[in-house]
Amino acid sequence: MGLQRVKPHAEIAEVWPRDGRIRLVGRIHGHSGEGAWTLVLTRRAHSDQRLRYDAHVKGDRFEGELPIADLTTADHAAVEEWDIHLSDGETELRAGRRLDDIRGKKKIFVYPEQHTGNIGVRPYYTVKDNLSLECRTGGAA
Amino acid sequence: MSGRRPHPRVRYLLLHAYGRGGTIRTVMNQANSLVAAGWDVEIVSAVRRRDDIQFPLDPRVTVSTIVDLREAAYTPPSGLADRWRDRRRGRLLDAPPRYIPAGEFGYRYFNRYVEDRLIAYMRALTDGVLVTTRPALNFLAALHATNGVVRVAQEHMNHGTHKRDVQQRIRETYPRFDAVAVLTERDRDEYEELLPGTRVVRIPNAVHSLDQVPARPQSKIAVAAGRLFPQKGFDMLIPAWAKLVETFPDWQLRIYGSGEKKAELRILIEEHHLYNHVFLMGHTDRLDDELAKASFYVLSSRFEGLPMVMIEAMSHALPVVSFDCPTGPADVLTHGIDGLLVPPEDPDALADAMARLMADEKLRADMGVAAVLTAASYGPDAVHPRWEALFTDLHGQRHATAGAAKGQHA
Repeated sequence: MGLQRVKPHAEIAEVWPRDGRIRLVGRIHGHSGEGAWTLVLTRRAHSDQRLRYDAHVKGDRFEGELPIADLTTADHAAVEEWDIHLSDGETELRAGRRLDDIRGKKKIFVYPEQHTGNIGVRPYYTVKDNLSLECRTGGAA
Repeated sequence: MSGRRPHPRVRYLLLHAYGRGGTIRTVMNQANSLVAAGWDVEIVSAVRRRDDIQFPLDPRVTVSTIVDLREAAYTPPSGLADRWRDRRRGRLLDAPPRYIPAGEFGYRYFNRYVEDRLIAYMRALTDGVLVTTRPALNFLAALHATNGVVRVAQEHMNHGTHKRDVQQRIRETYPRFDAVAVLTERDRDEYEELLPGTRVVRIPNAVHSLDQVPARPQSKIAVAAGRLFPQKGFDMLIPAWAKLVETFPDWQLRIYGSGEKKAELRILIEEHHLYNHVFLMGHTDRLDDELAKASFYVLSSRFEGLPMVMIEAMSHALPVVSFDCPTGPADVLTHGIDGLLVPPEDPDALADAMARLMADEKLRADMGVAAVLTAASYGPDAVHPRWEALFTDLHGQRHATAGAAKGQHA
């Protein structure tokens, strides 16, 4: 807050888990929005495993989405997390929500769970206010 | 002023002084003001389930407990007599109370043991002023605090909210009080009609401070607060907000509080796809700071006593959009001046009124200034001297007419 500098990141404004997709809207903070950007999902337990989707960037505003069906994997553990970044090929910006006043986002910004196959997918804020996806087999709430 | 006579000791009896409800907070504000004005004040907690008091309380206010229900307070019986007493206690803890009607919202906290201990406490009181703060405690005081103590019954909920059996017991027992204190004009009228010949006074609750950070009218945050419970009507507020999202996509609604309906409200938010706009913020210890971030306050309650958080919001220069529910909002608000009153339980009307404020920053600013002025009459300095005057007066009367005093021989 105030004079404290916030590191470059992809500041999330809206998360829309609807109709089998997750759409993200936000602003690129602390970095130029020029170039071609992709939304990158990294499987936390297997960081070499990545999913990429084109993001639309205009000025500093970005928008991107993914179908949750892509999150099914052959070796799915009971719980899998995917971390979300925005990348222009050189810089990877972590997606998160760090510019507002709300503390304890994990419990306040709660999004609906969607199902694909036998997994339930829910976007959530980590304790560091970064945005990730949680996939649970059985989709237990 | 009553000459040289020292102030009588004032005892406030609360069901649970260690809880965090509105009544508790209000009573502690009263106690703080009285003790600062030189009175001798004690807060008595009928039961105790927590270690610490949850609101700021002047250390000069003494606090005592009638029945300590904390596990650490329980000592296992050792001798034979001890074991007998312990068994008896256990039996009485399971037995229903005799004097509290089942319709009292706090009924489940009472049992024969708590009741017996309260009665013993009340019978031992012979001086000062006893202020009881909810119907169950009022009923017990009416029947058992009969040895000369001046008795004042406080009502923190509006009369219409009470169940039939409670209303019946109110009619039967409240005439024994030296005074019955209510929060709103409407309640004063109702109680005066109900209890002819009984002194009924209206003293609103006071906000804890008027020295507050003003909110910024340009902010695009609306705030509501209260226990997540049907009474607060958040199940009507959420659908009302759903009608505004398209026109006002950059506005947030923040609802502070915790409670048993959280999961249901969350489902409602998901059904209306409001998870980017309506937030269940949970409990906060810093409501003042959070109120100051908003630009208006919403009250969606089905009923109230006197909604204090609303008045606190007004002390931050927040205008209010409120259902005209019983009771309180119409006592406090002047429609079109410091807020907008809409027909109770009408989410469409609530949405329209919110839209009017959201569309007009100047209106929010003007009404916010008016709201501060309204809140001023609920400041501690405006309200608490009325309690002092009441207690002084009642106590003076008692001593002028010693013997024929009302508290003796119930």
